[in-house]
Amino acid sequence: MKLYCQRCVYPVHAVNLDLDDEGVCSSCRTFEEIVNLDDKYWLKRKEKLIQILEDYKKITDGDYDCIIPVGGGKDSYFQAHYIKSLGFKPLLVTYYGNNYLPEGETNLQNMSKKLNCDHYIFKPSEEVLIKLNKAAFYMMGDMNWHNHAGIRIIPVKSALQFKVPLFMFGEVSWDISGMFSINDYSEFNKRTVLEHDMRGFLKEDFLNKEYLSKTDVDWYSLPDDKVYFDNKLKGIYLGNFIKWDTYKQTNLMKQLYNWQESKEPFERTYRRISNLDDMHENGTHDYLKYIKFGYGRCSDHASKDIRMNYMTRDEGIKMVKKYDHVKPKKDLNRWLEYVNMTENEFDKVADTFRSENVWSKDKNGNWKKDNIWDN
Amino acid sequence: MITKKNRLIVVVFFKNGNVVQSKLFKQHKVVGDPYVIIDRLSAWNADEVIYLNIRPELSNLNRQDKKIKYQNDFDKIIEFVGKKAFMPLTVGGGIKSLHDVEKYFEMGADKISINSEITNNPKLIIESSKIYGSQSIVASIDIKMDDDNQYSAYINNGKTKIISQLSDYIKQIEDLGAGELLINNIDRDGMGNGYDLDLLKLIQKVSKLPIIFAGGVGNFNHFLQGIENNLNSVAAGNIFHYTENSYYEAIKFLHEQNCNTRPPVINFY
Repeated sequence: MKLYCQRCVYPVHAVNLDLDDEGVCSSCRTFEEIVNLDDKYWLKRKEKLIQILEDYKKITDGDYDCIIPVGGGKDSYFQAHYIKSLGFKPLLVTYYGNNYLPEGETNLQNMSKKLNCDHYIFKPSEEVLIKLNKAAFYMMGDMNWHNHAGIRIIPVKSALQFKVPLFMFGEVSWDISGMFSINDYSEFNKRTVLEHDMRGFLKEDFLNKEYLSKTDVDWYSLPDDKVYFDNKLKGIYLGNFIKWDTYKQTNLMKQLYNWQESKEPFERTYRRISNLDDMHENGTHDYLKYIKFGYGRCSDHASKDIRMNYMTRDEGIKMVKKYDHVKPKKDLNRWLEYVNMTENEFDKVADTFRSENVWSKDKNGNWKKDNIWDN
Repeated sequence: MITKKNRLIVVVFFKNGNVVQSKLFKQHKVVGDPYVIIDRLSAWNADEVIYLNIRPELSNLNRQDKKIKYQNDFDKIIEFVGKKAFMPLTVGGGIKSLHDVEKYFEMGADKISINSEITNNPKLIIESSKIYGSQSIVASIDIKMDDDNQYSAYINNGKTKIISQLSDYIKQIEDLGAGELLINNIDRDGMGNGYDLDLLKLIQKVSKLPIIFAGGVGNFNHFLQGIENNLNSVAAGNIFHYTENSYYEAIKFLHEQNCNTRPPVINFY
């Protein structure tokens, strides 16, 4: 059995990834389907998008044509920019998870001004957030459950509240593992959110953890199927309708709106344009991914950049060797302080989530795993 | 005259313990874990679900960070699903012995689907249909069109071609005692370009057994085309993974088109 994708740097155990009989991963296969589509094809897709927006404009009672969930990142800016350029009026909606990097915070706060849009920011109680961070770390080895849940739930709640049934995310859900083909026209759905974003955990699972009460977590749930249906809710992905080019889009956003990348480099990856809305996404959260599955954000970024021809596979492997294993001291200390936990406790709990398929112990009792550069 | 109900059947493909969507039997995209989907399908009152392990030889991904920890074998998944499923459940993939058949029935399967062993071990069909009744043994046939425009059956995940003519193969299956055919079309798998209606007609001509037909559904109209061609049990895998309330929307569409389906039900969930 091959252990790594023959084209990018993904290991076979990467989350939701499939390696086919030729040793090529599902993410590379999905990219292969998209890369050669011509302008004529994308023009048709654009027309399709405009049609959906027009159709929903007719049925909406609200003051907006669609809702765009935004974190203030490069993609958020681009989505808002693009929908406005088509002549539609979006409402920007943010789930505020309380862990913004300074540049990310500035970007977020600038959106309403720079893009001339109304912006609705939902900011949960900090005390509840800290408790959720801690509880989720113990339950699933990921402090950011609240974030994954929040960024999916708040747009749906806003759609109901503002009577704007159409909401639009950016890149196709789980594009990272090549979960859907462009022809699937995959839409927001509860199954994906419950399985992946929320890992099967519901708000009830948090009751009495870290003294969380029912009222603390009450809003962390999606509406019933019937409510969803009766209100004609529809969540689409812009990535199904335009040719997504991260670097091109980011540069455009820098030019037009002075969008800021991270001034300081990250401890665990070389890219500075991703995940500014939550410092731990590229830090402690991502370190936990490495603990669990043996790879990290640098593998994600390198795999994407190899596909887009921004680096060679060899260069990607060098990056993975440099970054994937790094324990992000600075970021981890911030989180430990935030939730009041010792590093020892953190390590002890983290180790319980290691996948047996990836990790084993050497004769000295140290964790070991296979590495791409030895293959 | 009593007309048979039209059934809308969901095929759930498994590989490495994940639910996948499949294309041409070669490419697979992981869409999710084995557990949440059964709750969703139950909430929509799905008529029937078929769980197929498409690569039984591969080991499963191990995950400790989900509410329901990933189980490292297909049997544990079926044990869980068997308890959860509100609808008839068919299980297939890697079934090699009477022991396997018995095991899945005990776990709550209502029918067992057998593919490669039709050729490798035909006695398995004879014996299991004798013990459990023909109606509970489904013969799964994967079919592909060859270069000379002839349909052939394949086993072993579409890798090994059956030499005998398709019509002979199907007759042989009838003689062995299987009670239902699950037809999947390799060329249409994951293509979304509709059922191969020529193939459907050919099978209907050859066999009187009930047919579950899959392969090619890209929109709900394709189900309707099957029903209009006297197919009672329309089936698909991938299409149910893409949109919200997909099964409900599909059966609602068919019901509104005057198909003889159960009325659509949407639950509070």
